[in-house]
Amino acid sequence: MEKIISALHELGVEQYVITEKHTDSLEAFYVKKNLDLTRRADTTVRTVRVFRPFEKDGAKMLGDSEATVRPGMSEEEIRTALAGAWYAAQFVANPWYPLPAGVKAPRRADNGGFGSRSLAESMKDVTEALFAEDTAQDVFLNSAEIFMRRIETRIVSSENADVSWEQVEVWGEYVCQCRTPQDVETYHQFCYREPSPEALRAEVRHALEMTKARARAVAAPKTGTYALVLDREQVGTLLSYYVDRSNSGMIYQKYSPFKLGDDAQGADIAGDRLTMGLKATAPYTDFGAPMGDRPLLENGVLRTIHGGARFGHYLGVEPTGNYRAVTVPVGTTPMDELTKEPCLHAVSFSDFQMDPLSGHFGGEIRLAFLHENGTVTPVTGGSVNGSILDGQGHMTFSKERFRSKDYDGPLAVRVEGVNVAGE
Amino acid sequence: MKVQPSGFIGEKRAALVKLRDALCDQFDYASILAEDTVGRYYRVSRHSVSVSEGENARGFVVKALDGGRYAEYSFSELEEESIPGVVAAVRALLAAEVRPEGLEANTYAPPQEEPTVFADATEYEQDPAALDDGAVLDRLTALRDKGLAMDGAVLDFVAQATWNRYTKLFLSRDKDMTQSVLYTTGAVAAAAMKDQQVKQSYLPCSGLGGMELLAKMEDNVAPCVQTALDLLHSEPMIPGEYECICSPETTGMIVHEAFGHGVEMDMFVKDRAQAPQYLDKYVASPLVTMHDGASSAAQTATYFFDDEGTAAHDTVIIDKGVLKRGISDLQSALILGTEPTGNGRRESFARKAYTRMTNTWFEPGQDKLEDMIASVKYGMYLECPSSGMEDPKNWGIQCMVNIAREIKDGKLTGRIFSPVVLTGYVPDLLKSISAMSDGTELSGSGFCGKGHKEWVKVSDGGPYIKARIRLG
Repeated sequence: MEKIISALHELGVEQYVITEKHTDSLEAFYVKKNLDLTRRADTTVRTVRVFRPFEKDGAKMLGDSEATVRPGMSEEEIRTALAGAWYAAQFVANPWYPLPAGVKAPRRADNGGFGSRSLAESMKDVTEALFAEDTAQDVFLNSAEIFMRRIETRIVSSENADVSWEQVEVWGEYVCQCRTPQDVETYHQFCYREPSPEALRAEVRHALEMTKARARAVAAPKTGTYALVLDREQVGTLLSYYVDRSNSGMIYQKYSPFKLGDDAQGADIAGDRLTMGLKATAPYTDFGAPMGDRPLLENGVLRTIHGGARFGHYLGVEPTGNYRAVTVPVGTTPMDELTKEPCLHAVSFSDFQMDPLSGHFGGEIRLAFLHENGTVTPVTGGSVNGSILDGQGHMTFSKERFRSKDYDGPLAVRVEGVNVAGE
Repeated sequence: MKVQPSGFIGEKRAALVKLRDALCDQFDYASILAEDTVGRYYRVSRHSVSVSEGENARGFVVKALDGGRYAEYSFSELEEESIPGVVAAVRALLAAEVRPEGLEANTYAPPQEEPTVFADATEYEQDPAALDDGAVLDRLTALRDKGLAMDGAVLDFVAQATWNRYTKLFLSRDKDMTQSVLYTTGAVAAAAMKDQQVKQSYLPCSGLGGMELLAKMEDNVAPCVQTALDLLHSEPMIPGEYECICSPETTGMIVHEAFGHGVEMDMFVKDRAQAPQYLDKYVASPLVTMHDGASSAAQTATYFFDDEGTAAHDTVIIDKGVLKRGISDLQSALILGTEPTGNGRRESFARKAYTRMTNTWFEPGQDKLEDMIASVKYGMYLECPSSGMEDPKNWGIQCMVNIAREIKDGKLTGRIFSPVVLTGYVPDLLKSISAMSDGTELSGSGFCGKGHKEWVKVSDGGPYIKARIRLG
């Protein structure tokens, strides 16, 4: 760090942010119940962002660029890399904006439960929970990858920041397989920042049940317009539309028409009014300023425009830092009422997507339950092609809750009038 | 001109050879991959300019086999005095107790390697590192200004370019291989807005080589703007099965997403693919011959050897409609008793190697595009693919395209549908191919993930194809 700051001073760089990230990752790869490979990655990356004020056509500009200072670089190599970034910054003609002030604070240790144990100990416990429900012959875990990571981050800036923190987390993915009556698989992910064996076991139980249902699904739903129920991660993906559209960069560049105090959910709301919060996933912003949770929507009304320093300044709003995680209060409708027929309850897609620019959402259906004529039929195939602009006034949220890495809110949402292409 | 190898890897070579020898003394098999990747990314839009680093990675990964078990250790720093520490870290990893009771471990025999010494590099015309940052931004700014000036309805116009150069050194007891590769990508994108909906079009270009690619971007500005404006008048897709003509980019997405992932042989090992049951059977129209391989084309996924030291291949996967073979990394080949095909790739030195595609494409046919369109009574011309997702187990298709242009009585009507989801069963789609145009184009602007992670550079493509596809 000292070598970098010294080189920056030599170059005449007065404004900078240095981010150092050290990752120690213990990784295990399973095929069925056999460990196939054990990995460890012990890596360090230092990124230096330099800011260069200059004038262009009489206007005040602030250019920026970045360089990566890699382990093992000599002082000469560090100077060359930083000089390259400093040189490039003079051509980056963005209107001037002030850099946010950072803070100085002692290192924050991870007290979430993983922090006090070795990665190997935690890995063993997570693996035990992951495979604990894998006891049947007809449906089982086909394969799994588990990444137990300890990440140390430090941010130092010319604007008074010197903060560091530890984060320990487990991320994993697993595939469930069911061979009868047809051979199928389903894909799942998990992420926890504290030991959560019961939650993981419950997720695996659910995944195995859904895989058995997928094996019974043979036909696609009929083409038509449906009341669509989405659950789990898909709800977070659908609602990411509001996070993306309230970003200062999207608004300043006119990709989003959102304004503070506007009815972001639209004026004509027959369903539930949406309240959402932005959840900080790190204690500090990219500039080393404290980062906390913020309200995003209250009853459909936009309360926060969020984003980085540059577009925040252009719009005249506070730079908040970058958010991706959200919290949403649960609704009042229980799941059995939310799925009252007729409806299509889609539980798994190939890759469910939300396009924040057009408002379109959709994907190929891997598994859905068709609730009609007093029966519930598993279906597969076909695709959903909906528009949140059409559906946002008719959304109903479940009373039950679902938590994942970046979403904490209702387990499911029902959206009326969604197009489905099928048989 | 040939790409110059990394000075960093040259400086570390002696220490790496000593590390290789120390590892081989202690373990049944050991290899080292050293990587030095640098790049630069330029982007200009109406309201923003940026210059940043492209892909960037420098480090090492050791793969060791002992007592039949594999372990890997990725690390950032190496000096001669740190060699005992690296060996100890590998030893500790092989002994680590990460398995709970009741779970077993796979065991492997050491790979048999042919003694190989190799060094080569790809070629370029214009050295990106010698090109001034200001000059690159000036050229992109000119493209942006041209795009913005074309129509008042254009909300934004983006021009971007990136180059990446890497050197990799692979060492094992029998192999000493070095390669240096440079590739460049560029794109223009136009956005237009109507009724709160932003419609965007995107035209990429890519190539193995240097910044000579910038010259190709100029021709893409006008069609990119026109497409964005056309999209303002698009309608929601009317679900159904249509006779479709696919642009080469759309063909490429079908080749890659719908079929390519299904022949990655690490999926065979896990029983996650249908393809093994269809070897030597028809899975596509007899018009279809499909290739994958780092040496099968000169594009962004071209290299001389993969991240496990296996030479690049040109693998014919489908030959005149018949599935002949899959593509494979080394570890999967050891289990399956097959030959590795040079498809063992890592996102970077810090990640695991998996079976990954490289340049994946269909051979051309003999038809003319205009005849293909004229042969459609009612159907769609599909272009501007945006994303896709694999499903090797069930051979389901999910591909998204931005534009379907209506064809009626052999002519484009001007009516446009967007966005469009392609679905169906892969062999049904491939068997329905009834015409292929007489040229093949590959595009390497994107990255490919394994599931939802492990991004590596790939290219894909093919000719225009005519097929029956379910659209929604």
